[in-house]
Amino acid sequence: MKKILVADDEMSIRLLYSEELKEEGYEVYLAANGKEALDIVNKVPLDLVILDIKMPEMDGIEALRQIKEKQPDLPVLLSTAYGEYRQDFATWASDEYLVKSSDLEDLKSAVKRYLKE
Amino acid sequence: MATERIAFLTQMVEVFTSTVSFGERLNNLVHLLARYLKVDLALYFGLDKAKETLVLNLSSQGPVAPHLRLEFPLGHGLVGEVAASRKIKIVQRSQPGVLAANQPLEKLHPAFATLAGFPVADDNFFYGVLILVDRQERGFSQAERQNVQLASLMLAGTLRQALLQEEAKKRIAELSVLFEVGKALSSTVELDVLLERVVSTTAKVITARGAALQIIDSVTKEVRVSSQYGEISKSCPSPTDILAVPTSPGELPYLQGQEVNAAGNTHYFLAVPLTFKGQFQGTICVYDKVTANGQYLPFDPENRQLLYTMAGLIVNAIENALTFKQVETLAEKNERMVHNLTVLQVISRALLTTVQEDRLLEIILQGLTLERGLGFDRAVVLMVDEASQSLKGVKGTQRSDKFKNLPLFEALLAPLAEEVKVEDWQIPLRPDQGALALTVLQKRPYHVQGAAPEPGGTKVLPPQFTAPEFFVAPLVVKDRATGVIMVDNGASRRPLEEEPLHVLQMFSTQAGLVVENAHLYSTIEANNRELLLIRERMLESDRLAALSSLASGMAHEIRNPLVSIGGFARRIAKLVEPNSPLRGYVEVIQEEVTRLEKLLREILDFTGESLGFYGDHDLNKLLEDTLLLVQRDLEACKIKVVKEFSPMPRLHCDDRQIKQVFYNLFQNASQAMHQGGTLTIRTYPQEKEDGLYEAVAITDTGGGIPLEVLHNIFNPFFSTKDYGTGLGLAIAQRIVSRHYGQVEVNNELGKGVTFIVTLPVAKYCLVKEPGHGLAQASTLKAPKGGGR
Repeated sequence: MKKILVADDEMSIRLLYSEELKEEGYEVYLAANGKEALDIVNKVPLDLVILDIKMPEMDGIEALRQIKEKQPDLPVLLSTAYGEYRQDFATWASDEYLVKSSDLEDLKSAVKRYLKE
Repeated sequence: MATERIAFLTQMVEVFTSTVSFGERLNNLVHLLARYLKVDLALYFGLDKAKETLVLNLSSQGPVAPHLRLEFPLGHGLVGEVAASRKIKIVQRSQPGVLAANQPLEKLHPAFATLAGFPVADDNFFYGVLILVDRQERGFSQAERQNVQLASLMLAGTLRQALLQEEAKKRIAELSVLFEVGKALSSTVELDVLLERVVSTTAKVITARGAALQIIDSVTKEVRVSSQYGEISKSCPSPTDILAVPTSPGELPYLQGQEVNAAGNTHYFLAVPLTFKGQFQGTICVYDKVTANGQYLPFDPENRQLLYTMAGLIVNAIENALTFKQVETLAEKNERMVHNLTVLQVISRALLTTVQEDRLLEIILQGLTLERGLGFDRAVVLMVDEASQSLKGVKGTQRSDKFKNLPLFEALLAPLAEEVKVEDWQIPLRPDQGALALTVLQKRPYHVQGAAPEPGGTKVLPPQFTAPEFFVAPLVVKDRATGVIMVDNGASRRPLEEEPLHVLQMFSTQAGLVVENAHLYSTIEANNRELLLIRERMLESDRLAALSSLASGMAHEIRNPLVSIGGFARRIAKLVEPNSPLRGYVEVIQEEVTRLEKLLREILDFTGESLGFYGDHDLNKLLEDTLLLVQRDLEACKIKVVKEFSPMPRLHCDDRQIKQVFYNLFQNASQAMHQGGTLTIRTYPQEKEDGLYEAVAITDTGGGIPLEVLHNIFNPFFSTKDYGTGLGLAIAQRIVSRHYGQVEVNNELGKGVTFIVTLPVAKYCLVKEPGHGLAQASTLKAPKGGGR
């Protein structure tokens, strides 16, 4: 079972994403900020990470940088409530930039693409 | 013998006292004498007026034929000798020298032997000589001599009477002439009529064929007035010409002479000066004295005397008339001046009613052409265009009858009735471009007249302005000509009068100031408007910046809960039974969340959150791609698409954003044409001042945008549609201006709207591609390193 980490400070988003991804048959880990996310990345051999950008303590951009330093091959998706940054000096390292939407089809298809399913 | 003598004397007295004419009486006396003395011939030689020659007047044989009118100068022949000595002399042909001295008498009596001469004189005058001729040598007795002397006295008396009567007749005639002249002169003060009468009366009185009169201005030496009557063979000499002729002391100056004309006829003239206030300021001249049988004669001193007398009378009359005319002219001039100044005052008052340049020009033009105004037929205002250094037609008008019954002030404020099209006039400001250009360059008015060549040479006026004369005055402000006013009487061909021209000159100064002030005012107003607009734009951009940061913050805060609500609603939907009433509720939640999410996206797009990818793209291809996205909507509304694409150079842009622009415009068009229509999309290159642009014109047939909302269409959140955010056009404009382009609207109410998007082709991204060639493109080079 593929392991996915979802990091978002919004509890409701964490819940929604985990429910949806579990339904797709993934094992889902949850973190409320960048720090928690890094802890999990360090402990668990993950297949994919979904990061929110704006989070307390450590934001998604910093978390992305640190993850890519250690595990450049681990796919990291940025999922944000901001407008469409797309590419930016800060987000260039991510594999995909997704704008949050209640329709999770985009997210799910991106996940599938990076897990090569 | 004594009875014979008594009979002779009786007959003499009878003849002398008879009532027959003087000529008859004289003839009878001579005849009687010849018969009594039994001589062959009795002749009377009269002394002529010059008192130099004696001419045969009477003969006892009847009337003297013209070729037999013998003449003897004083002292020559017996006739001359007796006249010179005033003594009786009797000579015989046989005496030496007698025949030679009296040869001419042989014409009358070839065989004369005795000649007797008796002087004819009374106590005061010598009249002539009585000559008795006989074929025999004979003498005259004392008694005979006494009788001849007596007859001579009677002859003298008769001649004297005749002379006196002739003189009396002449005096009466002269007096009646002077009476006529006086009557003629005092009958009028109209100068023209008076002068006419003067010359005609003068000619008639002197029995001249013609007469002329002229009066010279003492200062300018120009002819002030002149008049002529009948036929005149040469022009009236000036007073100076007359005064140049030397005269004997005590004689008044005159000029008399004769000329032989081309036909060989001799013409005579006599001129005397007219003296005003002791100064010679005129001439009166008569031509060719005519006799009863139509011969021309020179004028004699009596004529001269009469002419002088008349000149004295004439001068006074003319002087009066001249003064009267002068007063009249002055009064008229004053009246016109007062009228013109009143007109100017009313125009000034009208000019104070507005500061709009256009209206002021209309008032000025009305003032120039109204009948109650300055009354020109046509007036045109041209202004200097500094940029092109030329005069440009601004406005023109011609006289209209429409305002005839309006008071001046009201008529001035009325709109022009008959405008003259002058907008296409353009006259370069060069000295060779005619009077209008010169007026500006020299800041002086020009009065161009008739066939005289226009100053500056070239005729630059359009063909409809071919009046025989026109007047141009500069509009001068601070020593600078800002334009010209041109007037003419093209329609009526009346000559331009001096006064209105002077007034126009005065007026043009005022008009120049007024127009300049209005111009300044409108410039200030325009600047003010621009400042207001800039302020508004700045305020708007401030507002937008605030809105942007607020919106992006809000969006972030709202999006998370929205995503959760929507996400969970979808999850619930999956769990709810297909027939459950909850299903509908959940679907509403989902739809509403989707709608809110769309709104959020648009707000974030608008606030510029998005940063794009720039690349070089084919505008036509972007349009095709976007059309695909709206194809279904267009088909649903039965909208026909017409594409008129020109080949375009590559455009440096964010393709996604530009597609968004077209998408929004297409959406708009399809919503405007939901009942069907035609969507025309045209692309074309466009050269603007700052470079080459690519233009896209999107035209719909949706009836256009109502005027009351037109100014609002680019305002964010303004929408006339029942759905949508109203951000469509605002976003389109934002994106385009981010690309340094423009969106223009061409609204045709009742037909449709054309949105024209122009995007600059940045020079660095112009890469010439075969088949996509624009002429300009090949001249622009892409820097090394390619298209980016």
